[in-house]
Amino acid sequence: MKHPMLKYMKETGPCGDRLPTILCPGCGAGQVLNYTLHAVDQIIKEDKIAKERFLFISGIGCSSRLTTHYLNFDSAWTLHGRAPAVATGALLANPEFKIILFTGDGDVGAIGGNHFIHVCRRNLDMTILCMNNALYGMTGGQVAPTTPRGDYTTTTPYGNVENSFVLCKLAEVAGASYVARWTTAHPQQAIRSIKHGIRKKGTSFIEILSQCPVHAKKSAVEILRSYKTKTVKAKNAEKGDNRIPIGEFLDIEQPEWFESFQKIIDSFASEERKDQNE
Amino acid sequence: MSNSHMLRPGSYYFQGNEACIEGAIMAGSRVYAGYPITPATEVMEAAARRFPQVGGRFIQMEDEISSACLLIGASWGGAKALTGTSSPGFSLMQEAISFGIISETPFVIVDVQRPGPGQGYITSGQEDVMQARWGHHGEGSLIALAPSSVQEMFDFTILAFNYAEQWRTPVILLADETVGHMRKRLKIPPLGEINIVNRKKPQEMGIRPEDYLPFGGSEVPLMANWGEGYNVNVVGLVHQPDGHVTRYSPELDYQCIDRKLRKIEDNVDKIAKIDTRFMADIEHLIICYGTPSRTALEAVMEAREEKGVPIGYLRLITLWPFPEGMLRKLIPQVDTIFVPEMNLGMMMHPIREALRDKAKRFVSIPSMGTLHSPDLILSKIYEELRK
Repeated sequence: MKHPMLKYMKETGPCGDRLPTILCPGCGAGQVLNYTLHAVDQIIKEDKIAKERFLFISGIGCSSRLTTHYLNFDSAWTLHGRAPAVATGALLANPEFKIILFTGDGDVGAIGGNHFIHVCRRNLDMTILCMNNALYGMTGGQVAPTTPRGDYTTTTPYGNVENSFVLCKLAEVAGASYVARWTTAHPQQAIRSIKHGIRKKGTSFIEILSQCPVHAKKSAVEILRSYKTKTVKAKNAEKGDNRIPIGEFLDIEQPEWFESFQKIIDSFASEERKDQNE
Repeated sequence: MSNSHMLRPGSYYFQGNEACIEGAIMAGSRVYAGYPITPATEVMEAAARRFPQVGGRFIQMEDEISSACLLIGASWGGAKALTGTSSPGFSLMQEAISFGIISETPFVIVDVQRPGPGQGYITSGQEDVMQARWGHHGEGSLIALAPSSVQEMFDFTILAFNYAEQWRTPVILLADETVGHMRKRLKIPPLGEINIVNRKKPQEMGIRPEDYLPFGGSEVPLMANWGEGYNVNVVGLVHQPDGHVTRYSPELDYQCIDRKLRKIEDNVDKIAKIDTRFMADIEHLIICYGTPSRTALEAVMEAREEKGVPIGYLRLITLWPFPEGMLRKLIPQVDTIFVPEMNLGMMMHPIREALRDKAKRFVSIPSMGTLHSPDLILSKIYEELRK
């Protein structure tokens, strides 16, 4: 039996077979892709939204490789950190797009940090899925802005001396409308969150802790277990709890860029109709 | 497309930077992204004012990097998209240009040049002529045009969009502070007389999504926009004609990149435009481009009239692709070739390479940070001819 989400993948193309993906065994990115496609599949069915309206955009890194040539959707695998800018352009051309951004903690937290916070500030209508593995996987396990203090990586051979970014808090203060964090060990919660994010008008930021067994030098199973034991539902967290809070942190309604800008365009269009009537 | 907020045919008094935006609107551009920088800011302010009036969208981005990257998404989203900047901002746009070349994405960047390096100065310059062609990493070519009047800021912006759509490539409008801030007459021709080119689409050729090759199938591949059911995977890695990226080979790399270079360079005779005057029986020649062409023409006319110097005038309208073959056909054997530039002799390099056996002497006439006066050019011509 074929995987039910394969219908959204390009198994082959005019120049040959495209699967399997480039991802390492045990990588969490494949799970996130699976959850995302489930969410998209449910929205296509429940909301009667045409598949052609979905657009996947990514930058550079392991997580961004999900949009290379595997997806049977319109997509762009763009420049490191620049996916929010490319997505903004697509929306400016056509605000009807349902945009999903695949990104990683380095892509969105370091090189693309500026674009990320400004997308949130403008509250542009897109869903940003950040796979956080707390390191740079594609280049071989270097320190990332999300790496915990003290961790050893190939570029912190004597231990990381820097504080780490909390990307969900960054998204909140930057102005996003919906912010949530889950892990690859929380499939149903992640699918529900992604669906909510896609439906949400404005910027949705969903961080998914996603294992990199290769560079973490642990088995995928071990990391997935820790995602269960070392996290706590945000609403259940008590003061002093060292576990990582997961769940929905923010869900608000606020003006979105395109609705506001469209009013300006419409004012000129109605002025023109008035001119023609006079 | 036409609406009451578009300029009607007639004569207007316009600034160069603002004329550029009127050209963009006329060409069908409805997406503008930018970041403020002197001396290009009026391009952006005009877009902020004018784009919503004609149903377009304008956004001020957080930097020039995102402004240029935005064009990639806007273009695949079906829009003709534009950004305007000046030299320091143009440096930041190089990665988007590089991606635009490999992904064959049409868009237009207006660079109202100022001197560099660094902050340089906020006056006029032509110091990005090499950056425009060679600033991006990797192989591949693009198109760059050099306007010299307010009218050409309008006309060449339309031409830039036409070229971008026709050849599926980034196009650079290499203006400078002088022409950007110049105020002169702008003539808007009747709409029927303006040639507008749009990208060729697979739908028009009856090509089905499953057979569509976004990066192959013809010299300039057909372009399906996002949202049209073609499931286009836009990629920046070396790819096969269908966008497949995983099976790397040196042969694939060569085929992928060589076509992107050839589609521009092999069609240089269709793309390049050159303006010549007084080319009969000449012993000397001035080769110029952009705003210095204005004072160069005056200097040539004066040298011919005052002292009977047999000197011709040739202006490059298209700097890139560099029209070597056309130049060699147009230019007879001469004694001296003068090249006035608002830099220390950048375009002198391809000019001398192309015409090395056509002239005895090549004389650069630099002017840094300001437009040459006709006298500066004339005195240099007379000085050389006395030698």
